[in-house]
Amino acid sequence: MTVAIVLLALFGSAWLLAVIEGWITTGRLSPAAPLYSGLAHLGRESIVPRSPDRVFFEAAPVLLMVVAVLGMAVLPLAPDLVIADLGTGGLFINAALAYVLVAVIMAGWGPDGAYAMIGGWRFLGQLIAYSMLIVMPITAVAMRAESLVNTAIVGSQESLWNIVYQPLGFVLFFIAAMALSFRAPFDLPTAEGELGGGVDAEYTGVRLAVLRLARLTLVVTLASTTTVFYLGGWYGPLLPPWVWSLVKTLAVAVSMMLAGRYLPRIREADLMRWCWVLGIPLALVNIIIVGLLILVVP
Amino acid sequence: MLQRLVSRALARNLSCLIVPGPEVALAHGLDVTAAGLRISTTPRDAAVLLIVGELSEKMGDAVTVLYAQMPRPRAILMVGGQAPSTLPGADISAGLSQEELNEAVVRLQRAFADSAFAASPEDFDADVLHARIEYVCPMHPEVVEDEPGSCPKCGMDLVAREAGESTPDHDHEHHHDEHQHDHEHQHHGHEHEHEHCHDHEHQGHHDHGEHDHGGHDHEGHDHGGHDHGASGFMSMIEVTKDLPRSADGLQMDWLEVPFGPVFPGLPGGLKLTLTLDGDGVTEGQATSLVGMTTEAEEGEGNEESEESEQINAGTFIEHLASAMPLAPVSYRLLACLAIERAAGLNDDQATTQARNGALERERIASHLGWLAQVGRQLGFAWLTRRASTLQLKVRDADRDKLAELEPALRTLGTHLERTPLLKSRLKGIGLLPPQSSALRGPVARAAHEGGDAWARLWQRLAEISASLEFIRSSGEPELASLRNIGDVSGAGEATVDTPRGEARLSLKLERGKVKSYELDTACSHHIDLVPKLVEGQELGDALLAVGSLDLSPWEVIS
Repeated sequence: MTVAIVLLALFGSAWLLAVIEGWITTGRLSPAAPLYSGLAHLGRESIVPRSPDRVFFEAAPVLLMVVAVLGMAVLPLAPDLVIADLGTGGLFINAALAYVLVAVIMAGWGPDGAYAMIGGWRFLGQLIAYSMLIVMPITAVAMRAESLVNTAIVGSQESLWNIVYQPLGFVLFFIAAMALSFRAPFDLPTAEGELGGGVDAEYTGVRLAVLRLARLTLVVTLASTTTVFYLGGWYGPLLPPWVWSLVKTLAVAVSMMLAGRYLPRIREADLMRWCWVLGIPLALVNIIIVGLLILVVP
Repeated sequence: MLQRLVSRALARNLSCLIVPGPEVALAHGLDVTAAGLRISTTPRDAAVLLIVGELSEKMGDAVTVLYAQMPRPRAILMVGGQAPSTLPGADISAGLSQEELNEAVVRLQRAFADSAFAASPEDFDADVLHARIEYVCPMHPEVVEDEPGSCPKCGMDLVAREAGESTPDHDHEHHHDEHQHDHEHQHHGHEHEHEHCHDHEHQGHHDHGEHDHGGHDHEGHDHGGHDHGASGFMSMIEVTKDLPRSADGLQMDWLEVPFGPVFPGLPGGLKLTLTLDGDGVTEGQATSLVGMTTEAEEGEGNEESEESEQINAGTFIEHLASAMPLAPVSYRLLACLAIERAAGLNDDQATTQARNGALERERIASHLGWLAQVGRQLGFAWLTRRASTLQLKVRDADRDKLAELEPALRTLGTHLERTPLLKSRLKGIGLLPPQSSALRGPVARAAHEGGDAWARLWQRLAEISASLEFIRSSGEPELASLRNIGDVSGAGEATVDTPRGEARLSLKLERGKVKSYELDTACSHHIDLVPKLVEGQELGDALLAVGSLDLSPWEVIS
C-alpha cells in the first residue's frame, strides 16, 4: 500500500511537472498534454541505430528510471509514509544517484554515435565536479540530525528548517542536484546547440518516452531529497503532512526546471573550476559552521 | 480504437525540423510555434520536415539524409518553393505567409489524425542513402581500398564492409521495415564527400600523420575499443600506437565529426567539419552548402553571371534579394544602387533616407535573429523566445511601431547585462584582434572593444540602439525599388553596410540589362576565419566562436 502511494506521488508529481513545464514553454495549461505526448511517442517508430551496443542502448533509459525510483524509496512523504526507512537512508540516496552516471554513459556509448558519446563523457566530467557537493552538504545535515535515517533528518528540523540553519549547505546541494539531473544550465550531456541532443539524440519512440519520463522523475526525486534534507519535509501548518511534502517537492522541482530558461549553459571548464575551487571549501566551511552550532546551541 | 487514439495524440504533438533552419523561417516572418508546431532540433524527434524556400542541390541531398533519419509516421511540409527531387514530394505545400502556414499545419494535423498508420507505408529510398562498399584488412585497419584485393602490409585478403562501419559485415541490406534505419550515407564514386547532415554515426578515422582534407573519403574504423567483432583484447597502448599525440601528450583516437548543414546551434546551410580529440577541437573548417556561385556553370543560368545571358534589371534585383534570405532588404538596396549608378542616375535625398531606414530596420531584425541563434546555441530559452518575438514584430514595423518597440529592445540589453553566467560564457571566446585581416561589419567594430564574443554581443546591441535612433530621426522606412532607367548602358558600383558587414557590387549594364556582375560580401571573408577560431578550443567554445561571427551561408560567394 505504501509502495503504491509513494509511486503514485512520484509519477503524479512528474506528470504535474510536465504540465507546468508545458504551460511555461507554450503558454497553454493542458493537463492532458503529457499523456498525449507519451501516446505520441508510443505511436512512432522506435529506431535502433545501425551498430549499437545493444545492451547499453536498451538498458540506459530503464536504468535511469530505476535510479529515480530507488532514490524515492527511502524518502518519507510523511512520518509513516516511506517505503524503506533505512538506517543509512541519507547515504543510500547518494549511492543510488551514482548510477545516474552509469546510465548516462551507457546512453552515450550505446548508439555508437559521436554526439552521444561526447555527451556521455561530458557527464563523467560533470560528476567529478558535483559529486563532492552532494556528499558534503549531506554530512552537515546528518550531523545536525545525529542520524542518517531520513525520518530522523526531517524530525531534526521540526523547530527550524535546515534551509535556515545551514543556508550555505542548501545552496551548494541545490546546485549540485541540478547538475546531477543535467537540466539546463547544466545540460552539457544533452546540449542541443552543441551536440544536437547528445545522449538523447538517438532515442526515438517508446525508448524516448521512457527516457523522458525517467529524466522528469529524476528531477522529482532530487526535489524530494532537497525537501527532506533542507525544507523540513512534511512539516507545515493546517494541511496533512503528505500534502506539505508534495507541495514543497513540486516547488523545488519547478524552480529546478525553470532556472535553466533564464541562464546560458555553463562551460564545462567553469563548472569544474567553480565546484572544486569554490564549492568544496565552502562545503567544508558549512560543515565547520554546523559543527560549531551543534556545540554552542544546545 | 487504440490506433485512433494514438493517431490523434500524434496529430496534437507535431514537432518539426526546420530546414535550412529556424532563423530562415523567422527571417521570412514565419512564426512556426504560433502555427502549432513544436520546433525540434533533431531529425529523431521530428514528425514533420518543414522546408522553407528553395534548396540548393547539395542541401537537397543533405535534407534527404535527414528525412531518412526521421522515425515514421513522418511528413514533409514545403513552404515557398519546390521540394528537392530526391525527396518523395511534399505532403503539404504552402506559400511564404503566416496564414498559409497556419492552414497547412491544420491540414497536416488532420492528415496525421486520419492516416498516421497507413496500411502499407512505402519504403523511402534515394541514391544519396546508399552506402559505399569498401575493403579493409582485418589486421591493419588503416588499409582501406575501394576494390577487393590483398593487404600491402601482410598479404591477407581484404574484407568487404560498408564505408563507416567498424567491423566487417556481409549483410548490407537495409531493413527499413525492421526499423533498421539508415544512418550512414555515402555517394557512389563521383563525389568524394560525406553528405552527412546532423549525422549521428560517428566517423572514427585513424590518422597517420598525413591529414588529408582534400575531400577524399577518410574512412577508418571506429574509435578504439569499440569492438563488436570477435577479435581478442588489445591494450590501449597497442590500439593507439601509431596515432598522433594530443596537446596533453596522450595518444588518442581522433574523430572527424560533421556539424551541420542542419544543426541546432549553427546557421542552416553552414557545414562545419571538426576533428575532435575528446571534446577538444584539433582542427576544423566551414563550408557553405547554399552560397552563391559566381562562376558560370553549365546548365544553370540562374545565379551565375554569364556572358551570353543578360538579365533584366528588375529580375536581377529580385534574384539577388531572394538569394540572400537573411538580408533581402540590404541586397535589394545594393542591387538598386549599383544599377542606378550604372545608369547614371543621381541619388535623391528623400528616397535615400527612406531606403536607409529600411536598411536599418533590417539591421535590427537581423541582430535580433542572431541573438535568438545565440540563445539556441547556449540553451538560453528565454533569450531565443524574446528575441524571436521582437524580430517578427520589427521585421515590417513602421516608424510608430518601432517607437513602441523601443523600450522592449532597450530592456533586452539591461536584461542580458544582469544575466549570471553569460559573461563568463562569452568572455574570451572567439578572440579576433583588430589587426586580423578581412574583418568587416560588427565583427570588425567589436575588434577594438575586446574582439571576443562578448564584445560582439554588445556591439550588435549598440547597433540596434543606433539604428533605432536613425529611424526616429529620418522618417518612414521604405523598401528600395528601382527607378526607371530606360535602355542605358554603363558600369556602376555600390557598397552597402549590410547587417553582417560591407557588401560591394559592381555590374555592367547593356541596354538596360545586367550583362555581368561581381559581388563581394563580408561572410565570404569571415568564413575563412573559422579554422583559426576553432583550433584548440573546447567543442562548446568552438561552436560559440563560430556562432558569434553571425555567418550567413547564403552570403558566402564561392
